Amino acid sequence: MAKTIMIVDDSSTMLMSLRNSLEIAGFKVLSANDGQPALEQLKAGAKPDLIITDINMPNMGGIEFIAKARAVSGFRFTPILVLTTESQQAKRDDAKKLGATGWLVKPVSGADLTRIIKQVLPGA
Amino acid sequence: MGLATLWSRARTLLAKPAAARAKPTQAAAPVGLQHLLDTHLELDHAIDQKLVEVVDDTEHSALSIIKEVRGLYDSADLLVQYLENSSPQANSLGSDIVNSVSYLVEISAFIQELPAKMTRDLHSVQSVVKEITDLSALVGSVHAISMQSHLLAINAAIEGSRAGPGGAAFRVVADEMRLLASNSSAVASQISEGLRRARSVVEGGMSTRIDESTRALNDVSHAVISIQKLQENFEDMSQYFKTRFAVITQHNQNLSRDIAEVLGHIQYQDVVRQCIERLRAAIVQRNAALQTAADPMQPLDAAQLQEALQHILNDFVAQEEMHKHSARHDEQGSSELKFELF
Repeated sequence: MAKTIMIVDDSSTMLMSLRNSLEIAGFKVLSANDGQPALEQLKAGAKPDLIITDINMPNMGGIEFIAKARAVSGFRFTPILVLTTESQQAKRDDAKKLGATGWLVKPVSGADLTRIIKQVLPGA
Repeated sequence: MGLATLWSRARTLLAKPAAARAKPTQAAAPVGLQHLLDTHLELDHAIDQKLVEVVDDTEHSALSIIKEVRGLYDSADLLVQYLENSSPQANSLGSDIVNSVSYLVEISAFIQELPAKMTRDLHSVQSVVKEITDLSALVGSVHAISMQSHLLAINAAIEGSRAGPGGAAFRVVADEMRLLASNSSAVASQISEGLRRARSVVEGGMSTRIDESTRALNDVSHAVISIQKLQENFEDMSQYFKTRFAVITQHNQNLSRDIAEVLGHIQYQDVVRQCIERLRAAIVQRNAALQTAADPMQPLDAAQLQEALQHILNDFVAQEEMHKHSARHDEQGSSELKFELF
């Protein structure tokens, strides 16, 4: 059964690019253009097997989203990858402390993305 | 031109007002300088608007490219699905052909056996014909007996006439014998004709059946050869189809991989958008500093302005440093900085 991945990014280009890459790779995709609607989807019962989130978003950034998503029942151990243009170590440390699974710097090729997803999602 | 070069030039330009600090201007900005600042802000506003348009345009183009590329993938995927669906149908057709050939081979064997069977039947019929021929010989004997009876009746009639009235009864017997001989001859002729027709029918029927079975044998043999050729052609076609299918599947996998790479490269639109947004933010900060410096109520001196600009510059450089690994020219950079699993 296909795994479901949620992508959270305020860029339409990123959402469309990732959605198509992941769908072609055989995944189901959920998407949100900010941390807040993504969090609402999780609370409403969405069950992604993996979440990929941007850091800098207008209303709720990725760091805050990770912290709040970890508090939602059933998402304590769900892998969360950060995908951002930033590579600052301090932010990486923050994300790691709050429960992020990994950090990817944009842009990421389809092959690299699939390889990393398979690392954090065995059987994907 | 690299970012470091740009900043080097910026520092040189910014150093000029610092040099002018030897003659500080404490008064409000002169009217000419205000006009200069207004024009500068107007220019920056026009540039900013254009940058926003460029970001919108590139985003629109990126989304269109994604849509078109996805369309290409879907078309290729549809082709593979079509081929996958066709494969069982082709296999089913092949199976039907093999079964048909098998049935025809069985029929062919039966037809090939027919001449021998017909020959055996012919021998049986020839025995019957011989019996009929023998019967015909017996009919000849009946004719002969009839003829002799007729002659005997004539002689008896002559002798009865010679005997006068006493021979009347003898003449009656002679007449009856002659009538009997005549009837016997007629019946023998009818039997002979019947036997001739029977023989003709039996021999003609056998000949027709042998001819028909020979033609059927030829027809079936041709049909078997044709279908065996069809089977061979089908096997060739099937092999060709499998090869084509493998090639198309490989092509589709390559296409899928290439499309995934294209989608990865399209993410640069977001990288560029964010870079332009940081540039715009720095310009807004710089212009705010310039406007503050030119404020007639609370003007900044050159040293304060230089300090404010230096602060903006430092922030900008720090921001860019944080994002440098997303730049295309850093593609060959350390992979652990780009991908890190905690």
